Amino acid sequence: MTPPTGLGRGAAPRRTPARAGVRLAGAALTAPALAMIAVFFYVPLVTMLWMTLHDWPLLGERRFVGLRNYRDALDDVAFRNAVLFTFEYTLISTPVLLVLALALALLVRRSGHAARFFQGLYFMPVVIGLAAGSFLWLFLFQSDIGPVSHLADRLGLTSRNTDWFADKTSALLVVIAMVTWKVVGLQMLLLLAGLQAIPAEVEEAARVDGANKWQTLRHITLPLLRPTLALVLVFSVAGSLLAFDQFFIMTSGGPTNSTITAVYEIYRTSFIQFKLGLGATFSALLMIVLVLVSALQLYLLRSSEPGSEP
Amino acid sequence: MTSVLLLAGGCGTGAQSSASATDATISLWTRDTQKEFINLVADAWNESHDTKVEVTLVPAADFIQKLATSATSGNAPDVASIDLVYLPYFASTGTLEDITELADDLPYKDSLSPSHRALATYNERTYALPFSGEASVLIYNKSLFKAAGLDPEKPPKNYAEIISAANKISDLGPDIHGFAIAGQCGGCNVFEFTPHVWASGGEVLSEDGSQARFDSQEVTDALTFYRRLYTDGTMPAQSRTDNGTHQPAVFQTGRVGMVPLGAFYTQVLKQDSDVDFGVAPLPGKNGGWSSFAGGDEIAVMKNGENKKGARDFVTWATGEQAQKVLADNSITPVRNDLTDEIYVPLDPRNKLFAEAMEKGRTPYSTVEHQLFNDPNGPWIQMINKAVFGGDIAAAQKEGQEAAQAIIDRAPQGTNARGNR
Repeated sequence: MTPPTGLGRGAAPRRTPARAGVRLAGAALTAPALAMIAVFFYVPLVTMLWMTLHDWPLLGERRFVGLRNYRDALDDVAFRNAVLFTFEYTLISTPVLLVLALALALLVRRSGHAARFFQGLYFMPVVIGLAAGSFLWLFLFQSDIGPVSHLADRLGLTSRNTDWFADKTSALLVVIAMVTWKVVGLQMLLLLAGLQAIPAEVEEAARVDGANKWQTLRHITLPLLRPTLALVLVFSVAGSLLAFDQFFIMTSGGPTNSTITAVYEIYRTSFIQFKLGLGATFSALLMIVLVLVSALQLYLLRSSEPGSEP
Repeated sequence: MTSVLLLAGGCGTGAQSSASATDATISLWTRDTQKEFINLVADAWNESHDTKVEVTLVPAADFIQKLATSATSGNAPDVASIDLVYLPYFASTGTLEDITELADDLPYKDSLSPSHRALATYNERTYALPFSGEASVLIYNKSLFKAAGLDPEKPPKNYAEIISAANKISDLGPDIHGFAIAGQCGGCNVFEFTPHVWASGGEVLSEDGSQARFDSQEVTDALTFYRRLYTDGTMPAQSRTDNGTHQPAVFQTGRVGMVPLGAFYTQVLKQDSDVDFGVAPLPGKNGGWSSFAGGDEIAVMKNGENKKGARDFVTWATGEQAQKVLADNSITPVRNDLTDEIYVPLDPRNKLFAEAMEKGRTPYSTVEHQLFNDPNGPWIQMINKAVFGGDIAAAQKEGQEAAQAIIDRAPQGTNARGNR
């Protein structure tokens, strides 16, 4: 991307025809991708921002209202509750996922058929759709008919007709268990790639110096893994902040609207209450939060990268 | 983007108009829950007409969003079969063709379901014709009634009798329950719960839809009645979180004594289960009865391409041939003048559904979806909190405020001609 040193602005017209051809080919090759990004990202983004300035019903007359939607959005109790719940969900699920993914990655790191087998096993749920996984777990935990309810009954934990989704805490735990099962394999794989990029000599040297397994992990492996950990963290947090399917399918926002996420509230505002302008405003606010949270994490990643420290 | 859509739309028009007028098709959208009979209705039309009806089944949960989107993007179908509760909304947004003259010219216009006619009227104009009927009743398991020492030919007639019957049935065993509701399904509970309020002389909305009545005494009584059924342990655990799928399924297993459901469900019961069931009216606190008069209306879309075909089809759909197809498939017809002839003789239990369509009521509101059918909306949240949480007064207060706030932001219209 960076032009070679010595080629200033004035040098460009003196370029050989071959170079111009390469530039043209480059532009031609990137054009389809740029067009796609423009059509599927920038146009919807600008449209969305335009919508936030309007009273925009699903059907009927739209009206320019300036920044009123933003004021309404900040005053909206339902949206505020949804955002708080989304943070709660993110704060619980992120560490669970990260620690479990790291543990699994360390387990399947060794060579051999058994490790490959378990690596495949842990990864398998990743290829199932989130909606399909949600329906599967919804059935598993159904009272009376779900196998988990039967199992819990046999083990004497709860009764067979316990309704797991009737209580916010247990409903949230079931959803987090499903999401963990569904995405921990992918995080494991990313961390595994990070682990394998750590030169074996470094850890060997630590061992030679007398460090035990725990010390090696804490002082050698984890610091070297930090860029990958931060990458996984950004993915994980963004995914949790955008959660929708799992709650829409498994809890329908219940019991008594206690598990409605931010995206769920955007959906409700836009397609249940038909207020597309306000829904777009919620989306814009959520986008700002996502950008801030991701930027913060990337900043932390930058400062922890080897070599960047003062 | 817009030009691409216009181009596509233009091509569609070209292809259609190149065919001769009689060959043109009529596109019909309906909810996928209607699939049992809608294709039979379409077949009946196709056999006797040169134009052909093409049915598109839209998932019920997305129906109004999809229809609204199609209406704005210019890809609207010619005809839409719409749940009657959404008629005021669609009429208020100018999506539907005004068919007042067509409706007034029908020789049997006064025999059409009164609720359907009221819901299809917006500011004195008519925007749809009644199509299919659906009434809510109490469906009960006669075998469980017998086992519990109750007379299966004498279903309960007030709240106290339902509570007593539910308790006796629940006592039959730990897996047997007296009464099941769908506690997280708004649409189910406007259909199943409001009749108790109406039968007791109460309202959930004022006549013109401008005031919510969620905090009325009759609503308190009906919530107290459901709360008692729950605290007595007569409801299965799933009732609290059921979004509408569990309640009919569990009755079908023969382990539930009573469920408030509709005519559509008796068709399912007859086909797929051995349960010996009876139907009874949904009673008020001290007797009387009422029903939710539901079902579909059939409308000509303003942006449709084949208006002439659409008008012919909606007229035909209220005629004897189409209504007989409904009756033969256990769907309640909307023609009171025909029910004794084509519907009631098919099953003695149909008599109640036919009566319920005449006596039944339907809330009229341009924001019915937000108030009642939304699974996270004020109606179902009030019921869920009151019945399973127990603080009925607080739930009603919260529900009333949320409902009134929604109504106050909505366009107002009247359901009766000249009754403002």
